[in-house]
This record gives sequence, structure tokens and C-alpha cells, in this order.
Amino acid sequence: MRYSDPRLVDQLAAAYALGTLTPRARARFERLRRDRTDVDLAVAAWEERLGRLAQSVAPARPSARVWRAIEARTRILAASPAKSSGAGWFKLGGTGLAGIVAGFAAAVALVMAAPALIVSTDQVAMRSGEKLPQSYVGLLTDSKGDGKLLVSSLRRGKVMTIKVIGAIEPPAAGHLVLWAVPPDEPAFALGTVPTSGTRTTLLPDSSEKLLIAVRKLVVTVETSEAPTAPGTVLFSGNCAKLW
Amino acid sequence: MNPDSTRLQDLLALTARGDHGAFAELYERTHAHLFGVALRMLGGEHAAEDVLQEAFVSVWRSAALYHPRVQGQEIQPMTWLIAIVRNKALDALRLRTRRKESELPDVEEAAEESSQSGPSSSALELLQQAAAALQIQECMNALDGSHRQSLALAYYQGLSHSEVAQHMGAPLGSVKAWIRRGLEKLKTCLAGQGGAA
Repeated sequence: MRYSDPRLVDQLAAAYALGTLTPRARARFERLRRDRTDVDLAVAAWEERLGRLAQSVAPARPSARVWRAIEARTRILAASPAKSSGAGWFKLGGTGLAGIVAGFAAAVALVMAAPALIVSTDQVAMRSGEKLPQSYVGLLTDSKGDGKLLVSSLRRGKVMTIKVIGAIEPPAAGHLVLWAVPPDEPAFALGTVPTSGTRTTLLPDSSEKLLIAVRKLVVTVETSEAPTAPGTVLFSGNCAKLW
Repeated sequence: MNPDSTRLQDLLALTARGDHGAFAELYERTHAHLFGVALRMLGGEHAAEDVLQEAFVSVWRSAALYHPRVQGQEIQPMTWLIAIVRNKALDALRLRTRRKESELPDVEEAAEESSQSGPSSSALELLQQAAAALQIQECMNALDGSHRQSLALAYYQGLSHSEVAQHMGAPLGSVKAWIRRGLEKLKTCLAGQGGAA
């Protein structure tokens, strides 16, 4: 089907938002929506339009047990090490460093080896669950080359995940800060870095806008709450586009 | 933007950071309207409560995915929440349809459905009320009644094309065309009022 036709995309987005697509077409369109910003935008526009029709629906009170059930389920989720940010987020929990590096290298090798196939391979592999979603990733190491942090964020997402993958000594004073270092512009802080576990940080804009020109990431110890320039570098690594 | 929307945006941002108090306030402020939407689509309270529960667990997990503006397009927090509830309700409705096609109905579900009294307002009445509130009534009235009826049944009751066709006793192809024209008209009418074009 010609999903490049904006009119068709708009019609499908309308049918999707209304709910009249067949289950199979709906599932297919959801995959397309995840892959393409223009499709996601078209759906958002239709949800906005149709959502306005809901104002005539009378409010109603559900039983108090609904909130109790929601609270019980979400408190359990909140108690887990990192609050999940949705099904699409780049998740690597439980994967060893070797696996992370091997997976990353394999994905990069695929892109390098078959650039002409980037779009079709990416789309097909993502849909079949064989490939990681388009993301910005960084593997930061210390001066000895030991892996310390894995940084990831979906290409068009606004949540960055920092996962500690090697022992990090908490600084005697101050805190660890992750910086993005564009080649021709001043470095800018992306967020604080945990010394264990995983931390998710809400970015001020999409990763695509913030990181498109960034090639390097560094971690420094800072004593100021709002440092304006990176101090002594503890860890560093490349910022790579995983697509 | 009205103060309610601003507050809801703040609550969603806090929820995204794991603030359970903010999440509770978000529920308190929105659940009655969202439950109304689910109830309208599903008919029974039990099914609507299940959908509301699933929707809010999903909101807790994915609040970070809400963005007030996407490429210049404003996304109202309530719209985002309604879309989540409608999608969960649609999933439940389609599952119910598949079960009916393949299995004997669940006893409790059947009892609940049989105990439901008819909706207090028809889907078409709800569409007309919404159109009046949005000041697009005249614009929407330019549509044939069957077009508006089919759009209203799909939106407020979550009916599929074939279910709308069955409900209205009309050919499937006609219903698809009516709904498509209804959506196009809605888009035009809202654009004329300064809504999302």
C-alpha cells in the first residue's frame, strides 16, 4: 500500500483514531505509527479532533475499588528499580556488557555493511522484533577502557536512560554529570548520573534535536547544582545513532 | 490554555517522574469523565471499570510519552487521556466480538449486558450536543443524517464498520463511505472554528 501518500495516511489515521480499522489493519497501522513521525502526528491530530466530541458524554463514578486496584498495581511498578516509560523504550535490563557491546556492534555492522538497505531492513527488522528501535546510544568507559555507563534514548523520544554497567565510586564531593559534546559548540549537560542501577531523565527536547550533531559524551564530577561547562572528565564515549 | 489543562500537563509531567501523589490527583481530576467515555462505549459498568483500570496503569507507565506540543501541534492532556481510554475500550470491544464469534458468552458478561438499560442519550444526540458545544452544529448539519448517525455510532459506541452497517441495516460499502465523509466534514468544520486542521 502507498503509505507515502499523505491523503491515505490521513484517512488511515482518522479510521485508526475512530476505531473502525479491522484488528489486523489496526495492528499494522500501529507498527507504522511507531516507525513514522508523520503518521504519529496525523493520529494525534485526529485524536485531538475526535476527543472534542467526548465532551457531550456524561461523567460517571466508578466504584472505589478501581482506584484501589490501580494504586496497588502502580505502587508495585513504582517500587521496581526503574519506572518503565512505555513499551517502546530501549530496554537492556539483565544483559551483560559483552551482550550489549556485541548487539550494538552487530547493529552498527549491519548499517555499515548494507546502507542501501537501511530503510527496508530497519522497518522489517523492527517490526519483526529482530532489531532495536532507532535510538541514540553511548557506551562510556573510564581511562582504562572499562565499561561504566550505557546511555540510550529513542531517536524521537524525550526520555534518556542511563544504566550503570561497571562499578562506579561515588564522588567524595559533588555529583556526576553527563555532558553532550557537539564538535563545534559548547558542551551541554544532559543530566545527573547514578552510581548504581538505572536512572531515567526527561530531556528538554527530543533526542533527535538535542543529539543530532553530538559525537561524544563525557561524565564529570561537578559541585555546582547547575554547572555551565564540564570539569575533569571521568568517563567518555561516542554518541552513536542506532539506525 | 485553560488552568485545568495546564494543571493536567503538570500532573502528567510529575507522573512521568514517578510522583504517585500527582498520579492520584490526575486520576481524581479526570476519572469521572474518562469513565463516562468507557461506560458509553462498553455499556456495562464492570467492563468499563476494567478498561479504566487498564488505561490508568498504562498512563502511569507511559506518561513520559505525553508532549503538550508536537511539531507545533497542541495536544490537550485530556485528549491524550481520552485516546488511551478509547483504545483500551476498542480492544475490549473487539475481544468481546471475537469471543462471541468463537465461544459461548461469559455468564457474568452476558448478565451484565442483559441488565443494561439503553443509553440515556443516543449516539446521534451526543454528536449533536458536542457539535452545538463546539459551535459546528450548522456545519455538521450539512451532512446527511445517515452520515452523522454512522459517525456517531462508531465514535460513541465503538462500533466497527460492519457493526454500524448491521445496526443501521445499510450496505457495508455505504457505511464506510458515510463515515469517511463524516470524518472529512468534521475536519472541515473544526478547521473553520480554529480546531486542528
